[in-house]
Amino acid sequence: MGSSYADLEQKAAWIRHQVFEMYVAAKRGHLVSSLSLTEILVTLYYGGFYRYERGNPSPDRRDRLVVSKGHGATTLYPILADIGFIEASEFDRYAQADGILRMHADPSIPGIDSVGGSLGQGLGLAAGFALAAKRDGIDRRAFAILGDAELYEGSIWETAIFAAHNELDNLVAVVDRNRLAILGETETLLRLEPLEEKFRSFGWAAVTVDGHSFEALHGAFEETLSRPARVPTVVIADTIKGRGISFMENDHEWHTRFPNADQIERARTELSAYTLRAEG
Amino acid sequence: MSVHAIQRDAFINEITEAALQDRDVYFISADMGAVALDAYREKLPDQFVFSGISEQNTIDVAAGLAASGKRVYTYAMASFITARCYEPLRYMVGMMSLPITVLGVGVGLGYEDAGPAHNTTEDIAFMRTLHGIEILSPADVESSVEIARLTYRDPGFRYIRLERPKLPEVYGGRFAEALPRGMCTLAEGDETCIVASGFMLHRALEVARELKRDGLRIGVIDLFRSTPIDGSVLLAELSPYRNVVTLEEQALAAGMGSAVVEVLADEGEHKNVLRLGLPGRYLFENGGRDYILSQCGLGVAQIADRVRAFAATESA
Repeated sequence: MGSSYADLEQKAAWIRHQVFEMYVAAKRGHLVSSLSLTEILVTLYYGGFYRYERGNPSPDRRDRLVVSKGHGATTLYPILADIGFIEASEFDRYAQADGILRMHADPSIPGIDSVGGSLGQGLGLAAGFALAAKRDGIDRRAFAILGDAELYEGSIWETAIFAAHNELDNLVAVVDRNRLAILGETETLLRLEPLEEKFRSFGWAAVTVDGHSFEALHGAFEETLSRPARVPTVVIADTIKGRGISFMENDHEWHTRFPNADQIERARTELSAYTLRAEG
Repeated sequence: MSVHAIQRDAFINEITEAALQDRDVYFISADMGAVALDAYREKLPDQFVFSGISEQNTIDVAAGLAASGKRVYTYAMASFITARCYEPLRYMVGMMSLPITVLGVGVGLGYEDAGPAHNTTEDIAFMRTLHGIEILSPADVESSVEIARLTYRDPGFRYIRLERPKLPEVYGGRFAEALPRGMCTLAEGDETCIVASGFMLHRALEVARELKRDGLRIGVIDLFRSTPIDGSVLLAELSPYRNVVTLEEQALAAGMGSAVVEVLADEGEHKNVLRLGLPGRYLFENGGRDYILSQCGLGVAQIADRVRAFAATESA
């Protein structure tokens, strides 16, 4: 593990800051969706759950991670730079003609295992990764980061049946449960609950945690990956869309809206305070 | 391989031989069977995956296996693994440049009276828009076996359109040589030729035999690779002919005939072209493949009449 939670808080604050600046400079991206899954990715990458070799993105030397909610993959870019898979100078070229970083990630970016942009298919891809590893006798994990509103896709549940039958205990799905679709709240628009029970009835182990608490996330992954349960696991991470920028939090309209100059300054101030809190 | 086999068994037997030597060969069935597949499953349970009637999951899992270094064959009914999976194929296989072989069984009207949901009569049109795909339509067992060998030898993103019934052998050992060209002249003619593939290739050969009795020599070209078509090869094959008939068990919109016309246009080549195919509607008729084709003007005698009239008009 190595990192204490205070270290992780600092990483998360730095990542939010980088993601925000990329988004503002390019005027492109899905900021609020990226902010909600920050702690999830930080826990996986810095908590020892997603295993890799610093500076070596070669697929042979690491686990697999599929950001199935591909619009949230921007959160990975600062992490990939921090662990030496890409150059930090790429941040300035995000969504620019001469840059390698795109609004939706794809395997042309070192350390990225999947193309992003279409929902509902990343879990199947991750199940394929997990199945190949198991049949080859390789100790490799496959993580799939799903949006909660992505769970309306029927293909997710096709794979849920498949993964349970094949006892893919090296497959971990993480649901970024921010409870917001583009048009509003999932539970008001089209009910997803009871979500844990849905996965359990498909033969998965399911746990719900605070998706912004490193302690809770750490505990969930620790338990999931240490237990030889012969079942796939879903970690339902309760999150806040737009986390870290108060006026964007839990407001579905920020999925598609771009902030004005005043709002950008306000957001910067809040994210700096966040960084200071993390450092303090 | 016995010439009495049907295409799917011939193909799977070939892949079984490869899989016995190579543990990275994987076969995924979306609840589609075959005699040869039973043998594969028995011999190679660890290289077989049952995905059930979940075509999207089938392709997504196949992508994960292929991205892990596996040589993956997905196996399902042609109508469903294509239309249902257009997006997974575009997104997971095409965009990720993964070498997956998609086997579709029962193309065209191969499921006879099962109705339009089972008909695979628009698949060339939409599948050929997938970037990087190769679409192959074997007309006999020999070509199925050679195509199977190709998919293992040189993995790529391919859609193999397998015919359901047993069809006569047409190649007599020549297919391996023809394979890289994507097409092969099976009968020489004077001014007019028919370009066809798969089930309709046999119909084209019958039409040519019938017209020969009238003293009309019609060429027949098997365009077994409808995507991509090599323009220079097509021009060479078509060079003896002024009149070109494309014959397909597909709705005409954007199908094989359209692909031929596109190449001719792009190459700046002027030919008289007659496109024969199915009408642009869903076919609910009963009566079997031959009957439905005859209802669509694609009986052997009907095609012969249309080709004869076309040749006469264009040669006048």
